[in-house]
Amino acid sequence: MVIHYKCPNCGDDMVFDSESGMLSCHSCGRKDNIENFSEEYITTAFSDGEAKEYQCENCGAVLITDADTTATTCSFCGAGVVLADRLSGTLAPTKVIPFSISKEEAIQAFHAWCKKGLLTPKGFMSADRIKSITGMYVPFWFYDLNSDIKVQAVGTKVRHYSRGEYDYTETLYFEVFRDITLDYVKVPVDASEKMHDELMDRLEPYHYDQLKDFKTPYLAGYIAEKYNYDANELLPRAKAKVADYIESFIQSTMAGYTGVNYRKKEISTEKTQSFYVLLPVWMVSYDYQKAEHIFAMNGQTGKVVGKPPISAGKVAAWFGGIAGTSFIALKLIQFLLGGGIW
Amino acid sequence: MRKRLLTGIIMVISLFTFGFFQSHVFASTQHVYDYANLLTSTEVKQLENLAAELGAERETDFIILTTDNTDGKDVVQYMEDFYDDMAPGYDKPHGNTAILTVDMEHRDVYLAGFYKAKEYLDDSRLESIREKITPDLTEGNYYDAFASFMELSHDYMGYPPGVNPNNIFFQWWFQIGVSLIIAAGVVGMMLYNSGGKVTVNERTYLNSKASKINQQRDQYIRKTVTKHKRPSSNNGGGGGVTGGGHSHSGSRGSF
Repeated sequence: MVIHYKCPNCGDDMVFDSESGMLSCHSCGRKDNIENFSEEYITTAFSDGEAKEYQCENCGAVLITDADTTATTCSFCGAGVVLADRLSGTLAPTKVIPFSISKEEAIQAFHAWCKKGLLTPKGFMSADRIKSITGMYVPFWFYDLNSDIKVQAVGTKVRHYSRGEYDYTETLYFEVFRDITLDYVKVPVDASEKMHDELMDRLEPYHYDQLKDFKTPYLAGYIAEKYNYDANELLPRAKAKVADYIESFIQSTMAGYTGVNYRKKEISTEKTQSFYVLLPVWMVSYDYQKAEHIFAMNGQTGKVVGKPPISAGKVAAWFGGIAGTSFIALKLIQFLLGGGIW
Repeated sequence: MRKRLLTGIIMVISLFTFGFFQSHVFASTQHVYDYANLLTSTEVKQLENLAAELGAERETDFIILTTDNTDGKDVVQYMEDFYDDMAPGYDKPHGNTAILTVDMEHRDVYLAGFYKAKEYLDDSRLESIREKITPDLTEGNYYDAFASFMELSHDYMGYPPGVNPNNIFFQWWFQIGVSLIIAAGVVGMMLYNSGGKVTVNERTYLNSKASKINQQRDQYIRKTVTKHKRPSSNNGGGGGVTGGGHSHSGSRGSF
């Protein structure tokens, strides 16, 4: 692994100065203590002969793995032809969450998940047609985001009461102001073009206590996809992810009001840090009625996501059952309220 | 096989005729007093049958009273005198009776309930029935109005006193609609979650140590109050007591 320390001042590479024990920049002369150096300016790259790159001729996916692992099929399309290439100088991940679910456990977990499917056809639930199961590291960007929020609103509290022959509606108006700081850490966004964003979002959460510094041996036996988008390209998606959280936080600070009318809402979200992480995913390819279904499993927690086939009969049965039960329940309520049965 | 079917049919028919016959025995014979001649003789016969059938189930005489000459009496007074004089009632003379009175002279309509019908058809239920049949009276569909008076009274008497029979909870379309909406919601949710649930929330990535409300202000500015007169439950309509001392519920209106 080759580690680059970028000068926060001028962007040139800094080197370790053994005399002072500090990182020093040749261009501008800046010196920094290596312990306190911000991670943001540290980049690591693969060194020569450390990792290999494969490109699938069929679907164009770019995969990387350690020098000793050989990829024979593409994890995405299953095509057998992959080209190997030596890899050097490419940006390496900073962190990794290693697989904690083995292949056998993954197959078992997938079987268990198929059995639980309430709407899936019977033939699918037996889960005996697993075509292939591949463990792969999916590239993610982790963002630390800081949001500064200022909200002005008019809040209303409504009270109803009656006196004499009149019903009164009393509305109290309040001028509401909130200044909030929200800090989000390690918001994951997948940097793979091949993976569906929605699918990857549903794989969350990963437990960060097992987040490790990346070392090439973690890749042994697995395939990692190369990232397709850099940290700046995906920043809007990270912001969009926390936007909903911010909105619900704002609402939670105004819970005492009957209605809130926003006058001004200033939300500025800034990235404080981002880093490149590999997260473990089992890709399961499953044959059902001549169609291939792809599922993804969180390689740390065993959570399965993907679009299973849906049985129309089961959907109809559930629909009918629930509608019928609700109807009987309503009739029961009617009976209890003294409305008879019909 | 055929024979058995035949005996079955005969048994059903005899049961029906017996039930019909029985209700005629206990109910008083005349229910339609059409002094204003609003109905044809077939219509009268049909209403009589309806009154006998529905009245037996509710142990109440459903009576239609029409007039075009009240001798200067008010419609309520006219009805009360009618009740005192004719002494209708399902269980006994001056018994359970619901009367619909139509005064063609003043175009007034009055609904009254005596005894069991007074308890089960209180002022508000009678008012609800009156509101439903008034359009038919206005348009001159007297037969329809009278028939629905009997049917609605019969239906409403199926609910214990104090319960609003028009409660939306009791309506078929509402119950079916709500059931379908619940089922669609639940199955839709199941379909949506079949590909894996979203299990992160707004707290997952929040660093609560560095997140806080820096400043908040809630300043009272003003107050508005609106008032509405409560719709009075029943003004004027109401029931009363006949000269003979029989108290009744009631609802009056014009058409």
